[in-house]
Amino acid sequence: MTLRADHVAGGAFVVFGILIIALSGDLPAGQLSMPGSGFLPKIVAVLTIILGLALIVRASESPTFATIAWSDGAHAALVTVIAVVATALYTKLGFLITMASMMIALLIVVERRKPLHALAYSAAVVLATYAVFVYVLKTPLPSSPFTY
Amino acid sequence: MEATLLSLAHGFSVALQPDNLWYAFLGCLVGTLVGVLPGIGPLSGISILLPVTFGLNATQAVIMLAGIYYGSQYGGSTTSILMRIPGEAASVITCIDGNAMARRGRAGAALCIAAVGSFVAGTFGLLMLTVIAPPLATIALRFGPPEYTALLVLGLIFLAYMSSTSLVRTLLMACLGLVFGMIGIDNMTGHFRYSFDLAELGDGIGIVPVAVGLFGLGEILATPSKHVTGEVISPKFREMLPTRQEWREAIWPIGRGSLLGFLIGIIPGSAHIISSFLSYALEKRISKHPEKFGKGAVAGVAGPESANNGASTGAFVPMLSLGIPTGPITAVLIGALMIHGVPAGPQLVSDHRDLFWGFVASMYVGNVMLLALNLPMVGLFVSVLRIPYAYLYPLIIMFCIVGVYEVNHSIVDVWIMLIMGLIGYALRKFSFDPAPLVLGLVIAPIFEQSLRQSLIMSNGNYFIFFDRPIALGLMLVCAILLGLSALSFVLKRKDWRDRLAKVEAGEG
Amino acid sequence: MDRRTFVIGTAASTAALAAGPAFAQEAFPSRAITVINAFPPGGVNDIVTRPFASALEAVFKQPCVVETKAGAGGQVGAQVGANAKPDGYTLLSHNNGISGYEEVDKLFGRQPKTTRGDFIPLARLVADPVLLLVNDQQPYKTAKELIDDAKKRPETIVYSSGGLYGATHLPVVLFEKATGIPKMRHLPTNGGGPAITALLGNNAQVSTQTVSATLQHVKAGKLRPLASFGGTRSKSLPDVPTLKELGYDVEYYLWVGIFAPKGTPANIVSTLSGAIEKAAASDAFKAAIANAGLEPGFLNAAGFAKFWADDAKRSDEAVKLIGRVG
Repeated sequence: MTLRADHVAGGAFVVFGILIIALSGDLPAGQLSMPGSGFLPKIVAVLTIILGLALIVRASESPTFATIAWSDGAHAALVTVIAVVATALYTKLGFLITMASMMIALLIVVERRKPLHALAYSAAVVLATYAVFVYVLKTPLPSSPFTY
Repeated sequence: MEATLLSLAHGFSVALQPDNLWYAFLGCLVGTLVGVLPGIGPLSGISILLPVTFGLNATQAVIMLAGIYYGSQYGGSTTSILMRIPGEAASVITCIDGNAMARRGRAGAALCIAAVGSFVAGTFGLLMLTVIAPPLATIALRFGPPEYTALLVLGLIFLAYMSSTSLVRTLLMACLGLVFGMIGIDNMTGHFRYSFDLAELGDGIGIVPVAVGLFGLGEILATPSKHVTGEVISPKFREMLPTRQEWREAIWPIGRGSLLGFLIGIIPGSAHIISSFLSYALEKRISKHPEKFGKGAVAGVAGPESANNGASTGAFVPMLSLGIPTGPITAVLIGALMIHGVPAGPQLVSDHRDLFWGFVASMYVGNVMLLALNLPMVGLFVSVLRIPYAYLYPLIIMFCIVGVYEVNHSIVDVWIMLIMGLIGYALRKFSFDPAPLVLGLVIAPIFEQSLRQSLIMSNGNYFIFFDRPIALGLMLVCAILLGLSALSFVLKRKDWRDRLAKVEAGEG
Repeated sequence: MDRRTFVIGTAASTAALAAGPAFAQEAFPSRAITVINAFPPGGVNDIVTRPFASALEAVFKQPCVVETKAGAGGQVGAQVGANAKPDGYTLLSHNNGISGYEEVDKLFGRQPKTTRGDFIPLARLVADPVLLLVNDQQPYKTAKELIDDAKKRPETIVYSSGGLYGATHLPVVLFEKATGIPKMRHLPTNGGGPAITALLGNNAQVSTQTVSATLQHVKAGKLRPLASFGGTRSKSLPDVPTLKELGYDVEYYLWVGIFAPKGTPANIVSTLSGAIEKAAASDAFKAAIANAGLEPGFLNAAGFAKFWADDAKRSDEAVKLIGRVG
């Protein structure tokens, strides 16, 4: 038997359903006439498990797990890491610095664009966005510690 | 009727005064901007600009604030279509077929149809508001928790039509959405559910971070730039307008969406978010070519876009005739009126005739203005797609982060967005469609709450859902829909969904 | 709000920093002040906080920016306010809710995220008395009729509130206790607006809501006020008796107050409370409050501290009376 995509996906949903039931252990289920806070979550979790099993049973209709292309994985991981770093710094360094650095990083590290182009484009876009948010819409964006 | 027309004429004489026109224009302009930029939805847009209106008189203030409100509904679809980032909850569904149209080079057509659909729905809603607001408002009041529950059961049944993947996959996505929707404080008992001691998760997961993550970021992660470089969609101006065929496909969905949206909009509560979802499911259910949905069906843009605008106009009915907020945005507008010394309520029409009719007339004017403002901008917006993808997607990521943060000024929301981006990426790999997940997320908290509220009212008796005429009617519709599906199943007459599932599974 | 003044403020603050700490201290505030609003737009907190911030801006000649940090019934904002740098540049605008989190967290065995000790009360801006209201289709004409009927039919009459342990739930519980009636059935909704809608639609028969939020419906005859929870009769509804007049010892207001985080230096606290008093007395602020139909009820730092202690006691008592549901 070959491992198919739906075996993996179905398995993940079964695990997820079990996890939800485990996490909602202390939530009272209540009765049918007055459902408690654990009532619907548990029903939905059980449904998830059943549907996950159905997916596994019918997995032969799905492509084999090995045929799923992960060639975009490296790109996705790199983009994610840069976005995560930017998010972590966003409220600490403020909008201008963080977002400009993130765009420059994406353009130079991931896309291998000319540094000068990347710099000019990022600066222009970030400043334009800042101007619209702050001056036209009067919405405060996170500010950096250096300028208050 | 004659009196209404006279009042409306009087209203136009107020609305067409130069300075009132100017504030309507200003409101529409800011509204469009607020709608186009992801993150600042109508809610924060209005409350942030509220102090700006302190210097104006009440009529001008309301005209301007209302302009921001419905202006943002027009602009909301822009980023959905161009970048797959829903600007706000109401335009989540437009991402699916709107963006698919853009990929086929029909971004201009999608934007035009969205604008025209919004215009038609807005104007239709206004006509209804002008003519039959008071009796409608009384019906709206009869929409209590049991009616709500029945409506959401209908929504849950429609879930099955949300996606072109197999029923098991659709339901799995819906379950995932329902579970996410139950995160946070349980309003009825005060228990924290799955919130890992984070106060930020107390109100649950927002729709915007989830939708932006699943659709916007997930899409970017799954699309490495080297696959896209060189392929720039740059339509010529004539190709930007919808073709005759596309108009023909759009007319009926716009009509149905307007009516459906308006009706859902007048119901007090948060149900009007589901208007665009219901419209989408409805169009797909009755379409002769349901397989086109998800691949750029015109009806999948026209219907939901009209529905969400119809709902935003419908929301004015209970607000103006009863002083009841249908949602947070109308609550802000009522607050704005109060600050200007005009209490919204049953006496608004009689006590403040100028303001009421001037306001209604200004919305007619504003709708025309918005159409005139939005159609020429289509060309400008579409040219965003001319930016090479390698330069475009960092910009999209920036907008995702800024937009999600600005909704609640919450960095936790941005983390949720990133996680959802990864989930969206994985779902794509395993050929799941995230749309039902978002609908599940929307429905879960309202469904659970109204079900339990109904049971409190009836002291645990389920008969309450069949005891009240509106609830009974909705339940009957549900029963008929379920019956029809069961019948077709029993007769082994495989409907399109089975066939589609076969095809999909076969091609995989 | 205006960014140009903001820039000037920034420049001034840099100058102040350059001139040395002693001068910077004297010049408080030398840059923009942020007022955290813990509740979403559309609620009383928002309606009060925005005109308050613009009035404070006029007093300080420094920008005052309102930053909305809503969520979890105000708990998110309270947490942000408590953890802000105690330098006087971040203030918190909050309401009754701030008293209750500690007790509710204890009830569920959770570590309280904020306690009342985390905040220094600076001023109470408004105190809107709560009304005991019924839908006009209900037969009750006086509070006594409602009390008698509630005694006859325990757990039958339905009352709506804006949320469990919330500011429109607690007064009902205090009312039940003071009048000795058995518990009525509670219909929690998610906010003051939906709770009033439930009452208007006769899906709930009773509710306790503020004068400002319901005056229009009372005037239109859709809702009938039976009694007020205020210490004195409301100016807008002089015919409605207070519960105290009727012989029940209950008092409850929905108030909005301004807080600073614990650890804010005493001299800054006194500067702030002086400025807040001036801002609250300004015509612009008074007009905005009056337009919104709110009763001012300003209290300065000392008065508010005393009031808050009493009010928090009432709040704790009510939370304990409710206990855990389900």
